[in-house]
Amino acid sequence: MSERTGNLSGKLLILGSIVAALVLVGAYLAAGGSSYEPEKVQDPCQPRPWSNPQTLGQLANQFTISALDGAACQLGVTREVLARALATPQGRERFKRRYGIDDEKLARAIRAGLVRAVDDAEEAGALSPLIAVPLRETVQRIPLEQAIELINDAESFLGDVDGFLGPAGDLLEEFLP
Amino acid sequence: MAESRRPRVAALALAVGLVLADSSVVVLALPEIYRELDTSVSGVTWVLVSFNLVIALAAVPAALLARRAGPGRTAAVGLAVFAGAGLACGLADELSTLIVARCVQALGGAAAVTAALELLPATVGSERRAATVWAAAGATGAALGPAVGGLLTELVSWQSIFLLQVPVALAAAVPILAVARHEAATRVIEEEVRSTGRPHLWANLALAMVSAAIAAALFLLVLLLIEGWRLSPIEAAVVVSAMPLAAILGSRLTERAGDARSRAAAGAILVGGGLAGLAFLPKATIALTLPPQVLVGVGLALVLSALTETALHGRSPQAIHGGWTISSRHAGVVIGLLALTPVFTADIDQQRHDAIDAGTAVILDSPINPLLKIDLAEKVSGQLEKERGKVPTIDPAFEPKPSGEPERSEVDQLQGELQDQLDRGATHAFSTSFVLAALLALIALFPIALSRRVDL
Repeated sequence: MSERTGNLSGKLLILGSIVAALVLVGAYLAAGGSSYEPEKVQDPCQPRPWSNPQTLGQLANQFTISALDGAACQLGVTREVLARALATPQGRERFKRRYGIDDEKLARAIRAGLVRAVDDAEEAGALSPLIAVPLRETVQRIPLEQAIELINDAESFLGDVDGFLGPAGDLLEEFLP
Repeated sequence: MAESRRPRVAALALAVGLVLADSSVVVLALPEIYRELDTSVSGVTWVLVSFNLVIALAAVPAALLARRAGPGRTAAVGLAVFAGAGLACGLADELSTLIVARCVQALGGAAAVTAALELLPATVGSERRAATVWAAAGATGAALGPAVGGLLTELVSWQSIFLLQVPVALAAAVPILAVARHEAATRVIEEEVRSTGRPHLWANLALAMVSAAIAAALFLLVLLLIEGWRLSPIEAAVVVSAMPLAAILGSRLTERAGDARSRAAAGAILVGGGLAGLAFLPKATIALTLPPQVLVGVGLALVLSALTETALHGRSPQAIHGGWTISSRHAGVVIGLLALTPVFTADIDQQRHDAIDAGTAVILDSPINPLLKIDLAEKVSGQLEKERGKVPTIDPAFEPKPSGEPERSEVDQLQGELQDQLDRGATHAFSTSFVLAALLALIALFPIALSRRVDL
């Protein structure tokens, strides 16, 4: 190969490599190759819209989310962190140690969360004011263990309100959707 | 070439290919090794790093030993040590034992490879032809290594990679023993060692940088495929075979195109472009890894052969300058692995944190029963926590599945959504490392530009 031909083919080779590299990277970027963002968790202090629940299960779901949001907002943590902490007693102990929270503070936050859940349900028209008022009174005095149980198993609670509200429960059940 | 010399050339090429394949052959077995030996990504990286580090340090002294004690003897003893240490690697049941055995294996390997370059000119008839055979055998070994390792890991076990090396190394040693028997020690005098001249600084520096980029490419891609996208080693071996196949295509280009410096520059650009492509994968799909792999494969064939030939051109004795190229390549591999491992393990850790929160959010927002979702959120986060230092997987958290419908299908759908989040997160976790590897390949353009123009 002559020096001139060699130089020319060398330059073409470099040029071809640059074009191939740019085409590939350009195509991948155009197809969204740099657009990945990890799913962001929502600020629990911001309101989370309620849809219109049709069943007790759907109501319980939204009630749980609102309660977690309210409690997490009060404690200054995310709803996700709090949900994991409340799932098991060991998780709760780890959470309390990590964030320096005692039982009293946790109980206050969870009660506040439950009140927010009742407020949200009432505002969304999922609970009538007749049931919301005594329910709010009840959750404000509920012991910590029961409050956690209520968040974890809102469906049983909402499906069996008389267990919590006494004789008025039968009457109030009629006002549940 | 005389008929009688063919077995010896084949044996020498086999020895070079076997040893240089060993720097990458375990790449696909690493996930299996770290599961079986219960270590972390950083820990298991040392199975690769130790071998490459010792070869980098031992290559030039091994070349001097070959000149002093005789290349036939050095190569035969080197292969015997390589085989013995390979047996120890195959029988290792602890990470520390495996790493020590890998160091010994590297010592034997360094002796065999550099001595082979000393033996080849006399066997093939010219130093230039010897350099070509030596570089081609090394590139073939390095390119085929991961795929062979993956197949063996899947079909037999990771231990079989090392155990199979024992008979292959001994078979390569047999024809070389005949040379050793007739060999008188050449007794290199000190002046001769001093008069070997300085190594080709720019070519060796560029070799180190490009090797760092290529090693990182292989290591990261394999981890992404097996740990990120949960492919089996055999499936990953098939996928990463695109790189050696493209390298074979690239070696055809080597024969036809321009001067060594142009080939080296074009190769570095292609390697850099391919790695940048892997950094910006738009989706977690195997097909999208193929075009970047083709670029890296063609690029590595161009750049490695051009730089090796440049580093050896007109320099004598070849064994010592070959030793410098081996040293540079393996030092580059070590630098690439040590520099990028902390980056991507930190990124995987960050991705794990994001995945735990995003996963919990997806579960909480799902329509499944609150009691089940709180339990699931805890199990998923527990599973992701357990995978500390590794790319997370969530399958165990979803077992046992609810027996009744529609809960079961809701949970299946949720698992799919979460897995998609994790796949995209895992792919993203490797992006910074691939970008850094691409930069290493492109930085190699500076020493390539500074290297003397050599028409080969």
